[in-house]
Amino acid sequence: MWDYSDKVKDHFLHPRNARVIEDANAVGDVGSIICGDALRLMLKIDPATSVITDAAFQTYGCGSAIASSSALTEMIKGKTLDEAQKITNQDIVDYLGGLPAEKMHCSVMGREALDAAVANFHGKTYEQSHDDGELVCHCFGVGINKIRKAVWENHLTTVEEVTNYTKAGGGCGSCHQRISEIIDEVWEDLEKCGVPRPGYQPTPIGGIKIAVSTGPSAAPAAAAGQSFDDETRGAPSFGKVTEVLREIDAGLGANGSGAALSSIRGDKVAVLLKGPAAEGMMREMTRLFVAQRLSDALGSKVEVEVA
Amino acid sequence: MDTENLGAGLGGIYLDNNATTMIAPEVVEAMRPYLETYYGNASSQHGFGVPVGHAMERAREQVADFVGAEHPDEIIFTSCATESDNTAIWSSLWTQGQRNEIVTTAVEHPAIMNTCAFLEAHGVKVHYLRPDHQGMLDESAFAALLSDKTALASVMWANNETGNIYPVERLSSIARERGVLFHSDAVQAAGKIPLDVKATDISMLSVSGHKIHAPKGIGFLYVRRGTRFIPFMKGGHQERGRRAGTENIAYIVGLGVACEMAKAHLGEMGTRVRALRDRLQQGLLSRIPECFVTGNEQCRTPNTLNIAFKFVEGEAILLMLNEYGIAASSGSACSSESLLPSHVMQAMGVPFSAAHGTIRFSLSRYTTQEEVDRTVEVLPGIIEQLRSYSPYWKGGKPQIAGQDHDFDPDSSEVRA
Repeated sequence: MWDYSDKVKDHFLHPRNARVIEDANAVGDVGSIICGDALRLMLKIDPATSVITDAAFQTYGCGSAIASSSALTEMIKGKTLDEAQKITNQDIVDYLGGLPAEKMHCSVMGREALDAAVANFHGKTYEQSHDDGELVCHCFGVGINKIRKAVWENHLTTVEEVTNYTKAGGGCGSCHQRISEIIDEVWEDLEKCGVPRPGYQPTPIGGIKIAVSTGPSAAPAAAAGQSFDDETRGAPSFGKVTEVLREIDAGLGANGSGAALSSIRGDKVAVLLKGPAAEGMMREMTRLFVAQRLSDALGSKVEVEVA
Repeated sequence: MDTENLGAGLGGIYLDNNATTMIAPEVVEAMRPYLETYYGNASSQHGFGVPVGHAMERAREQVADFVGAEHPDEIIFTSCATESDNTAIWSSLWTQGQRNEIVTTAVEHPAIMNTCAFLEAHGVKVHYLRPDHQGMLDESAFAALLSDKTALASVMWANNETGNIYPVERLSSIARERGVLFHSDAVQAAGKIPLDVKATDISMLSVSGHKIHAPKGIGFLYVRRGTRFIPFMKGGHQERGRRAGTENIAYIVGLGVACEMAKAHLGEMGTRVRALRDRLQQGLLSRIPECFVTGNEQCRTPNTLNIAFKFVEGEAILLMLNEYGIAASSGSACSSESLLPSHVMQAMGVPFSAAHGTIRFSLSRYTTQEEVDRTVEVLPGIIEQLRSYSPYWKGGKPQIAGQDHDFDPDSSEVRA
C-alpha cells in the first residue's frame, strides 16, 4: 500500500495548487465522500483564447488521489482546452512515475474532473455532457461508458483491472460477469483496429462445479432400519443405548468409521463397528470408548463386545 | 516535514499492536537454544528428543496457566489463530453430522468470516448476529439464533478494530444451556484482559502468538476435555493425535514465555497502558474538531482506540503519520484490499463518510508516554492540513450540502 513513487509522495506531501479559486469560471466535481474519494477541480479559462490560466483543486481521498489531482493541475496550466482534453489518465500516471495497480482509479477520477470542469465552462453539467449508459456497478454507481472508455484507452483485459481503474466491481461483486462481457465487447472493436488481445482464451461455457462435503455423510454403520431381536428391543436400556450409539456413530463418521447396535443381553451390549474404528488397535479403543459412554449414560456398568 | 520514512528500530512510534507486536527480547532469548542447539524432534525417545519434549510440555503448562485451562493437555499448538479458528469450525461440523448451522457475529475476523462464507456456499447455514451502533451484541438475539441444528456458536472475545469486549462468559453459558458448542476467537483479548476459560462454558478458544509478543507462525487452540474433536490437519500423531505435523519447538517455547510474561503484565495493561490510551484519546478529542470514538468506550480492551475523523480519508492520514514515523492503521477502503470500508464499521452502521476516516491506535506494554504525546502533538496538524485540501471543509468548518455544490456526507447518494 505504501509502494508509491517518489513523485507521488512529493505531490501528496507538497501538493501543487491545493487551494480555492474564488472566481473560477469552470468547476468540475467528481466522486463522493461515500465512495472514499472526491475531487473538485477549479479552472480559470480565458474565454478569448481558451487558455487555462489557472488551475487548482480540492480533494478528499487517499495519497494517490491528492497526488493525481496535484499532477493534473500542473499538467493543464497554460494549455488550451483542446490541448488539455488530449490528456489521458495514463498521462497522469506517467507524470507521477506510475501508480500502484489498485490506485489507477485515482488517475481516472482526475481525468473525469477535467471533463466535468469543461462541461461546466460550456454551461452544462457533467451528467448532461456525458451519457453514463447502462448502470453496471450499483455499489459505486459506475456506468457502462466509463468502463468501456477505461478498457479502450488502457487496454484492460481483466475484471480486476477494470476495478482498479474505475472501482466498478469493487463492492459486492455481482457485476463481475457483466464487466467481463463488456471487456470482451470492447476487445472485439480493439482487435478490429489491429490491437491484438494479449493472452486471450475464450472462457468455456458453463462453470466447473466443485462439490465439497462440509460434514460427514450420515452413513449409519449398519443397515438402516435393522431389525433387532425381541430380547434386545425389550431391554429397558434399548432406547438409551441406541441413542448413545447413534451419537457415537455420527462422531466417528468423518473417515468412514461407524458404530451400531447388534444386540442387548442384560448388561452386555454387542455392537457392530466398521471402518478404521473397527480395525487393529482402534477396535479395542473404540470398544472401551463405547463401554464408557454407555456406562455413563445408563449409570451402571455395561460390558461391550464387538459383534 | 521529514520525508524520510522512520521504520521500526529507527525511532519509529509503533501504535499498531492489534496488527502485530514486537517479539519480547526475553522470548527471543528463550527460543535461541531451540534454534541453535536443541534441534531434536519432540516425538523422539532418544537424548536429542527428550529435553525438547520436556520444553514443549513446560510451554504447554505456561499457555494453560495463561488462559486458565484446567489441564495442560487441553492446549493444542497450531501455526496461527487462523488455523485454530478453522479447526474449531470444521471439527464442530465433522463431529456433529446432524448439525449443519453456525451462529457467529458480523464483526468477526476474516479467519471466521471467510471460512463461514465458504461453508455457506457449500450448504452450511450461517447466522450472523448484528451489533448495535456501538458494536455491542444483544444476548437474547444471540440465544434466539441457537437451535438443535447449531453445530457451533463462535463469538470473538474482543474486536480487533474497536477493541469492544464481548460477554463470552454469558454467551457461552447460554450456548451450553441449549446444548451448543461454543468457540471464541480470543486473539485480541489475550494479554489485554484476564482470560479464565475454566470459569466459563467455552469449549474451544483460539489465540495467536504474534499479538502477545511471541513470533508470527505460532498459536494455539484450547479444547476443553470431553469436547468431541476431529483434527483439521491430518497426519502424524503429534499433539495427541489432534494436530499433525512436527511441533515447531522453538516457537512453542517462545509462545510459552510470551504467555507467562503477558499474564505478569496484565495489571500494567489495565492501569498504565489504559491510562496512556485514555491520554491519547483525550488529547486527540480535545485538539481536533469533528471526530468521534467508534465502539463502546466503557467496554474496550485497554490498549485500543478507534477514532473517526470526519471529512478526511484514512489512508492519507496514515501516509502523513508515517512521515513522522508513527504507525497506526485504518478501516478506510483505500488502505484495504477491497474498495469498501471495513466490514466492522459497516456492521456497526458507521456512515461511509466517517468510516473512510477511521484510524485505529493500538498500544502495547512497550508504548511510552513520550510516544503518545508526540502523536497528540502531530496529528492535529495532519488532520488540519488534509482538511484544508478537502472540498467538504471550508474555513475550519464542515461544508454541508445545498450550498454551492451537492456534497453531503449524510446523503445516501452514491456517485462514482
